[in-house]
Amino acid sequence: MGADSDPGAPSAVPWRKVLYERQPFPDNYVDRRFLEELRRNVGVRRYRYWAVVREAGLVTQQLSCVAVFLTLWWYMYQGQLYPFTLLLAGLLCALLGYGLYEALGGSRREGRTRLADLQSAAIFLAFTFGFSPVLKTLTESVSTDTVYAMSALMLLAHLVTFPYAQPSPPGSLSLNAALFGSVCLASRLPGALHTFAMLTCALLVFALWPCLLHSLRDRAPRGFPWAAALVSLGGVGGLASQSPGGALLLALAQLTLTLLCPLLLLWLQEHKDNIHGPWDEAEIHEDLSRFLQ
Amino acid sequence: MVLKIFFPQCCNMADSGLLIGHWLPGQDSAVVLAVVHYPFIPGQVKRYLSQLQNESRVALAVLGSWSMPKDGQEGMESFLKDLSTIFPQGRWLQLSREMGQRGFTCHVVQREGTLLGDEGDKCNGENGDGGRVIFIHYDQRKVMLSQLHTLEAGAGAGAGAGAGATVTGAGPSELRLVFSTVAQSQPLFHTDKYDDGPLKLTHWQSEGREGSIIVELAKQASVPLCLLLTWLLSLWTWLCGIRLLNLQPVRFVSSKLSTCVQLSYRTEHLQTVSSPKKALGHAEFMRKANIFVSFFVDVALGLLLISWLYQENRISLLANTLVPAADHVAQELQELLKWLMGAPAGLKINRALDEVLGRFFLYHIHLWISYIHLMSPFIEMILWYVGLCACLGLTFALSVLSDIVALLTFHIYCFYVYGARLYCLKIYGLSSLWRLFRGKKWNVLRQRVDSCSYDVDQLFIGTLLFTILLFLLPTTALYYLVFTLLRLVVVLFQGLIHLSVDSINSFPLFAMGLRICQPYRLAEGVKFRVLCEEPGKPLHLLMEINPLKFGSVMQWYRTPTYSCYPKDSWAALCKKLFVGELVYPWKHKSTKKTD
Repeated sequence: MGADSDPGAPSAVPWRKVLYERQPFPDNYVDRRFLEELRRNVGVRRYRYWAVVREAGLVTQQLSCVAVFLTLWWYMYQGQLYPFTLLLAGLLCALLGYGLYEALGGSRREGRTRLADLQSAAIFLAFTFGFSPVLKTLTESVSTDTVYAMSALMLLAHLVTFPYAQPSPPGSLSLNAALFGSVCLASRLPGALHTFAMLTCALLVFALWPCLLHSLRDRAPRGFPWAAALVSLGGVGGLASQSPGGALLLALAQLTLTLLCPLLLLWLQEHKDNIHGPWDEAEIHEDLSRFLQ
Repeated sequence: MVLKIFFPQCCNMADSGLLIGHWLPGQDSAVVLAVVHYPFIPGQVKRYLSQLQNESRVALAVLGSWSMPKDGQEGMESFLKDLSTIFPQGRWLQLSREMGQRGFTCHVVQREGTLLGDEGDKCNGENGDGGRVIFIHYDQRKVMLSQLHTLEAGAGAGAGAGAGATVTGAGPSELRLVFSTVAQSQPLFHTDKYDDGPLKLTHWQSEGREGSIIVELAKQASVPLCLLLTWLLSLWTWLCGIRLLNLQPVRFVSSKLSTCVQLSYRTEHLQTVSSPKKALGHAEFMRKANIFVSFFVDVALGLLLISWLYQENRISLLANTLVPAADHVAQELQELLKWLMGAPAGLKINRALDEVLGRFFLYHIHLWISYIHLMSPFIEMILWYVGLCACLGLTFALSVLSDIVALLTFHIYCFYVYGARLYCLKIYGLSSLWRLFRGKKWNVLRQRVDSCSYDVDQLFIGTLLFTILLFLLPTTALYYLVFTLLRLVVVLFQGLIHLSVDSINSFPLFAMGLRICQPYRLAEGVKFRVLCEEPGKPLHLLMEINPLKFGSVMQWYRTPTYSCYPKDSWAALCKKLFVGELVYPWKHKSTKKTD
């Protein structure tokens, strides 16, 4: 700022910040008002820790959902869980969930009739049941490692692409990846009925549960943390019954996600340094709605 | 401006007389066609010229005088000058030849009588812009008979001069005019030297005509023969036009059998040849002649084939090898299918689908074998009768061979179609389900991929199908690949046969023969050679005809057939094979040919 450090010769003409006039100042001249309009951290929101923890619970419970699904699959694969039991439990859960959903007024908001719900359920069941023998022989010639790798990749893709902000209409890619992974896993099960039960379970866990959870978050904000905590606990507990090491890892990951990551976010938020000024791109603040009609 | 005089070589040594020729309109050049010898009556010359003009539609005129010095002819100078007043012309040429000299001199006399360009004794450098004269000698017979073809590089007329003569200004249009003038004044050359008319002329002339009884008879017979052929052909086309033969299945089958396609081509060609109308232009004449000659060659080859085939019981020999060969192919296919059913090369093949497909194809082969065994007693008879159609020409024999191959490998075709359809279905299903997998869809209206939000049930079923199709794809692709390779072998064979049939059909035999025997008949341009270049004398150039190249002959005179129509490129073929569309040996675009 060498040009403006000449206070000894105050000019008669005040300097103006325009280019279209010839002024008795050098081109790089700026006066005292330089950086007067600088503003810092305009749009930064101050988060409250527990609110962030509450939202992070959604990520945690999704991770736990995958863990629950894998645990169920492992039980089926070992033959410790009968498909009939799983189907019965699934039916019970579905009925309970549907009742809860209705109580929260979910389907009335979207304008769906009960008949449409029934139709969807029939389509699910019929297609899954019809295709389960085909699905069972689908990956016979593919090696087990390939199948595991593919499923792991797909479930990871599900977790990465899951629309955490708005889970109600499930994101296409995340749901499809989860279903693809579960079909791959289910095709390794010993029988066609096993496959059917596993796919029904996948449908419940990956497609229907996020809808219910979203409804819960909107309508019953108090119940939501408890539901998320329940699922997380269920995931850890289920995994603990099969592999304690895995359960420990999962619990650590959950703790990190729910408690440490929000702390990290808050800490990083304090170090945020955004500058705004007249050099920003122009923003139109006028209400444009009258032009749109 | 350079005055160019095209002078016939045959008039070089002619007796003195008048030059008859034609001034090219718009060009500063004259074509000399003949020399009228002394003595003549000017009125008779004028009458003769007007009579010829009516016949040939070329504006013939007396260009000037020609003097050939001989003993006892003195005082010609003044006589020649007087002549120009008898035949009033814009310019009067006085050509004269001197004994013992190669070139000849030229005086150009304007209408007013002033001597403009005197090339005789003076140096031509002093009036270079006024009256330089170039003599271009041409062979009258060859120029009359030749047909000048314009190519893109038509200006290469003078460029190919062997002796380095650089003649500019002899553009293609002027050359074209020269050629057409000489060709049109054919009536002038009809009088030969034995004719005893009122005028004595020197020009190119035939050595008199010899009458041949056979040629005359053939000429007389050709007209009723053509009429008979036309009537037969119309009968045939009427037969083809019967409603029963135009029903959908018959029509479809006949469009696929190459024999029927060949039959329709042959009918069309014969219709062209046998039309009693005279060929209008050179191109039509050549087309007719080409078709005629190739038809005869074709039939001759076919008869040769028949005479070989029906000797020593070759037909039954052929039939006896044909059936075991087909049997053998079917057995090999069976082996191949069994190999495919046993998880070949460690491929990730779905066992259940593999089994199903393999059994399906095996059953098909079983059907095929029984069909062949059913047919085997009759095959010899069928071959015997079918072989007779070779008397229609070699192309028919080849087409029949192609059809027999197509019929005997019908099972391969069926396999290929099943495999391709299945594969195509999978590819299309996978591509559209992959869009669903990513939450996109194909927008038909805007021809692009848009994002779209699907329902849960749609997503569920779509993913289920996607998974199934993805894991079943290798199996289908394997079957498709194997059967496509088999099919390609058959297609290659049939394509070779079609190519040979097509080349016989479209090869311009007559034009090629003409090019070989009389190369000057098909001219591509001309080249000039310096005959004599002496200071103070006009330049003498010899014009020689450049014959058409063989490749250009093919290009000009090829009879258009279906192979001339655009076909798939290799890239398009590969894309078709990859996507699973059906590939045929030859796209018959007969529907487009009619317009």
